[in-house]
Amino acid sequence: MTPDTVVIGAGLAGLTCALRLTEGGCKVAVVAAGAGSLHLGGATIDILGYDPAVVTSPAAALGSFIRSHPGHPYMRVAPSLWAGALEWLRARCEPLQLTGSLDENLMLPTAAGALKPSALAPRSLAAGDLGSGGKLALVSFSALKDFYPRLAAANLNRAQPGPTERVEARAIDLHGTVAGEADPGTLRLARAFEEAAFRDEIVARLKGRIEPGERVGFPAVLGLHRSPEVVAELAERIGEAVFEIPTLPPSIPGMRLHALLNRALRKAGGRVVMGASVVSSASHNGRLEAVSTDTGSRRSSHGARDFVVATGGVSAGGVTLDSSWRFKESALDLPLAGVPPPGTERFCADVFGSHPVSRVGVAVDEEWRPLDADGRVVYNNVRVCGATLAGAEPHKEMSGNGISLVTGYAVADAILRS
Amino acid sequence: MTIDIRASLDHCVKCTICETHCPVSAATPLFPGPKYVGPQAERFRSEEASVDDSLDYCSGCGICSQVCPQGVKIAEINSRARARMKAQRGVPLRDRVIARPSVSARLATPVAPLANAALANPVLRCLVEAVMGVHRKAPLPRFTSRPFQTRQRQRSAADSFRAKSAKVVYFHGCGVNFFEPRLGEMAVAVLERNGFEVIVPPQDCCGLPLQSNGLFSEARTYVRRLASNLAPYARAGLPIVSTSTSCSLMLKREAHEILGEDSEELAVVSEQMFDICELLADLLGRGELDRRFGEVSLTVPYHAPCQQRGHGIGSPALDLLELIPGLEVVEQEAQCCGIAGTYGLKKEKYDIAMAVGRPLFESISELGASIAACDSETCRWQIAHATGVPVVHPIELLHRAYVGEQ
Amino acid sequence: MKTIEAEVLVIGGGATGAGVLRDVCMRGYGGLLVERSDLATGTSGRFHGLLHSGGRYAVKDPSSAKECMDENRVLRRIAADCIEDTSGYFVTTEKDDPSYSDLFVDGCRRAGIPVEEISVSAALNAEPRLSPRISRVLQVPDAAIDAWKTVWGCVRSASDHGGRALPYHKVTGILREGDIVVGAVVEDRAGDEVRIRAGFTINASGAWAAQIAALAGCGGFTILPGRGIMIAMGHRLVDTVINRCQMPTDGDILVPIRTVSVIGTTDEEASDPDDLRILQDEVDRMLADGETLVPGFRQVRALRVWAGVRPLFKDEKAESSSTREVSRSHRLLDHHDRDGVEGFITITGGKFTTFRRMAQDSVDIMGAQLKDERACHTHEEALPDSEERTYYKLGSRLAAREERLHDEQIICECELIGRRALENAMQRRGSSDLDDIRRTLRLGMGPCQGGFCIYRSAGILHSLQRIDAASATASLRDFLQERWKGLHPILYGDGLRQARLDDWIFQGLLNVEQLQS
Repeated sequence: MTPDTVVIGAGLAGLTCALRLTEGGCKVAVVAAGAGSLHLGGATIDILGYDPAVVTSPAAALGSFIRSHPGHPYMRVAPSLWAGALEWLRARCEPLQLTGSLDENLMLPTAAGALKPSALAPRSLAAGDLGSGGKLALVSFSALKDFYPRLAAANLNRAQPGPTERVEARAIDLHGTVAGEADPGTLRLARAFEEAAFRDEIVARLKGRIEPGERVGFPAVLGLHRSPEVVAELAERIGEAVFEIPTLPPSIPGMRLHALLNRALRKAGGRVVMGASVVSSASHNGRLEAVSTDTGSRRSSHGARDFVVATGGVSAGGVTLDSSWRFKESALDLPLAGVPPPGTERFCADVFGSHPVSRVGVAVDEEWRPLDADGRVVYNNVRVCGATLAGAEPHKEMSGNGISLVTGYAVADAILRS
Repeated sequence: MTIDIRASLDHCVKCTICETHCPVSAATPLFPGPKYVGPQAERFRSEEASVDDSLDYCSGCGICSQVCPQGVKIAEINSRARARMKAQRGVPLRDRVIARPSVSARLATPVAPLANAALANPVLRCLVEAVMGVHRKAPLPRFTSRPFQTRQRQRSAADSFRAKSAKVVYFHGCGVNFFEPRLGEMAVAVLERNGFEVIVPPQDCCGLPLQSNGLFSEARTYVRRLASNLAPYARAGLPIVSTSTSCSLMLKREAHEILGEDSEELAVVSEQMFDICELLADLLGRGELDRRFGEVSLTVPYHAPCQQRGHGIGSPALDLLELIPGLEVVEQEAQCCGIAGTYGLKKEKYDIAMAVGRPLFESISELGASIAACDSETCRWQIAHATGVPVVHPIELLHRAYVGEQ
Repeated sequence: MKTIEAEVLVIGGGATGAGVLRDVCMRGYGGLLVERSDLATGTSGRFHGLLHSGGRYAVKDPSSAKECMDENRVLRRIAADCIEDTSGYFVTTEKDDPSYSDLFVDGCRRAGIPVEEISVSAALNAEPRLSPRISRVLQVPDAAIDAWKTVWGCVRSASDHGGRALPYHKVTGILREGDIVVGAVVEDRAGDEVRIRAGFTINASGAWAAQIAALAGCGGFTILPGRGIMIAMGHRLVDTVINRCQMPTDGDILVPIRTVSVIGTTDEEASDPDDLRILQDEVDRMLADGETLVPGFRQVRALRVWAGVRPLFKDEKAESSSTREVSRSHRLLDHHDRDGVEGFITITGGKFTTFRRMAQDSVDIMGAQLKDERACHTHEEALPDSEERTYYKLGSRLAAREERLHDEQIICECELIGRRALENAMQRRGSSDLDDIRRTLRLGMGPCQGGFCIYRSAGILHSLQRIDAASATASLRDFLQERWKGLHPILYGDGLRQARLDDWIFQGLLNVEQLQS
């Protein structure tokens, strides 16, 4: 099969783009070094959380944000696409019941007890929204090392969302091993929650310990692929709303989202080649003709009409920096924008500061095609989406999955239009 | 090269994606997971005595390395650490025997009916379990009394298919030679149908079972011998085609990455090594595949085995099977059948292997299909053993479609 | 103001101070040590971890070389648990003068350092990552030594003999009555002043010795801080200490210590011992030097860079301009002879390897001044945990973890630290500073640099109910900020990728930036 489009990268941007193209009738092959970064995140779609003050409504804030951030990936997103992208994802991830909108950020409790603004989140997470305050009981398992609800509750009690909205949080510790294991980890706990006997035990142990009107927060381990049923059952049996808080990677909500998108892509007829890093490419007359992946002993060539670079940013390896301080776009060696000139700071001294390195990436034209330093299109048939794009500080802006989703969607749109 | 494998531990950012995909740690807490025994424990290893026995629960399926977005050679690190441990502790007789399929097969072939009857005898199997540690229920294949090599030698020139434009070498492996010679014949037929002259040089085991059982120096002997048998063809530019995704991966990648073999002979062979579906899909891509398929009205669950995915070539079998009229192929999501070559044969690992494969077995059983497809021999045997559904190589379906058309 | 009485006050909680404390206590004095920060956070905690055979000084400074070898033997006997018996190679690379190696062999023989030539192929077989371009390999009994374990071991030993150490007690003044020093005024962590009255005061503050001596009104010498950077690489590239066989210079040593390899070091004259800057140019030089010893060094993950200052003693009359030319042998200043001040001596200079000897010499001088000469036994008695005289082994944590695989949580996955060890350390140290816990256990010192274990550790610290959420959160943030100092100058390749993931965890997932400390 010679695909119409080769998508390089299997994270949220790559999967979104590949799935939408496949649905649009394209033959798509996803070529990826690994399983992408969805497992690392909490499966929340953070569109814009800080500018730099906390953003309550991304829809209202985006206009001025884009004006004050020239070169930001959001600049290239047509206003008409935003709502469509979110609705598209909502429909693809129906079991997760993605909740929220562009109009108002959810304020979700984190495992450290901070509030985090997200536009869209799986319902099991969104049920913990503290935008209007509320009473929470956070349940932990002493065997789980990745969630400390006492610390989270105490910090939540210190961090009030607004002048009138009050948060009252407390922790409930469930001591002992889980399924006989001293160090089960989130994944094993999630698998345990898919078993009725384990749920019975948890419900029994919580009996009489929840006060009326308290929402019950769990670490995000309430089932792996059957989470909606697990959450609904627990809520019903406990008699109060139940929600999840994402923990350290691996994130179970991220795995759920990853599995849904992958399954949808395969069902739609998309092909995925995993464990295949792009090591070289061939081009002719400003068009990319093929990329080659390393298959151990020889290279395997993947030709197509269009190519999409969705390899992620620095943390995913889409952009690298070597020990001679040279930045490189790793798949096609595309020109990079935002590279700090030699002798200037790559980072600032404050660990949470605004680091110049964050913004390094590929600059694109309005058709998402890579540009060189002079603003010329490098390849006519290559498009770039997600964290590979220049100009964003996703962690500080709280915009990571938002950029991946919206630009992945927009790139598919651009290819389908052409 | 061995330096590169170890050095790849530096790429690990602890993201734990490997552990979320590991089928063995999902099935048993005895295995602490690929990240733990791989890049994490490796920092504490040196020439000192091996201390972490738990790494022996790794089945070597290699999924961790495939999914690692950072490029850590996790499975390879584990494999080498396991071999070092076994070299220090000694390898049990059982592992030495099951790691040499061609040796036992040569002994059994002349008395194939007897050997098969014996291995089908539950009482004898209990004895084998007690004495040897091969689980009484483990899926052992049936020996053929006419190995593939014998059949090929006895094949008259008239059987060969019309004029040949191109030549390929068929690397059939021990599975086809001693247990599934019909698959070999079908592979030759499919290749010939597509205009290839098929050369079947003498060949022995690739050494993969030895390698996966930690017998590295013995494995090297086998793989070197095989590479030198095949090298002249490879040097002449002939593609070497295999129906065994695990044995071809051994030549393509593992002998180099795990055993550290870097001979010119191996390099040239690995460069010319093709999975049969990969080769045919390439023909398809060039518009040269014979697409005159007859109808095969079946719903077939297809499992791409771990070693097939290790090739990094996508799923060429799916591209081919979708050409067959009437055939509905259901790609399986479950990752691993559990057998991992010889892992699931072992008394202490059998239950783990069966637990690893359970999601796959359940999915196949739920489909109610009369037949399933999978590219790797030991996986086929395991799936058939667990589900009772006969499992074929995708080539067999292509062959059926060609025959149906004729 | 609170007042504490002590027979002997030791100023400085590095190896020398801890050694002095142990020595005075073993000789039957009541010893008290004060340190402005945590123990072993000055020069002692900021070196590469080499237990010298003396080979490095064999040509240039034979008496130092001999002293190192003697103390190397002693420490192997008394501090085996702190030492990994790595052995050491002096290798002649393509950049080194080949004639130096003969001088080296002669120097070693004269200093009593066992030296053995091994073939290049044998060395490459043992250390496959070593540059194949080396032309000669000489083996000496170098080893790796864990500074924190050693210093804490000395303090534990001292407390077994009645001594006591007070970290986070900064000397702000020296008490003098006429020409006699009678103790010091210190400031504790809360900022409260404490008066310590002591019969004798030993200034063992290393690079800060001149500052302390000045507080007592004693001068006439300076300590030139020689700032050197070291970079810890993500894993063991070698299992043997590798030295360039040439005159001491930058980037001439690679030390395998615990789970990492440390390359060192540069030598820049600093004006202030607290100047621990990391310059880009120094990092670049270090990486290039690493490449000479181990091809592919630049592709290896750099974990962390730090600077330490050598206390190089200079009497006012010395004229040398380059700090490397100043003697590294230790200096004992008897301020009675020099300045007419009694009850006060200064010990400075020297090397980690010779800290015990420095302590012995200091206490001998004290005895002479006090006319109370007691015999030293520090070379005879093993430190706690070293009684068995078995060397530390790289695999020991992995072996211990294997035993507890199914009954204990692993909190720091990189350094294999279980929950019990962590909680014990937190209780024992009584510190809410995660950085103190780090040094005790190597918490957060592996490849992820705390990315995964520090949230856990903060949660555990808080759950032990000794501190409130605000303090636990502050401790978490302080840890990250402190780590960042040693990270950002060497962030490239895998380390950069890790740092971005860690940043995602703390900002994107936990949003700790928004928490009020």
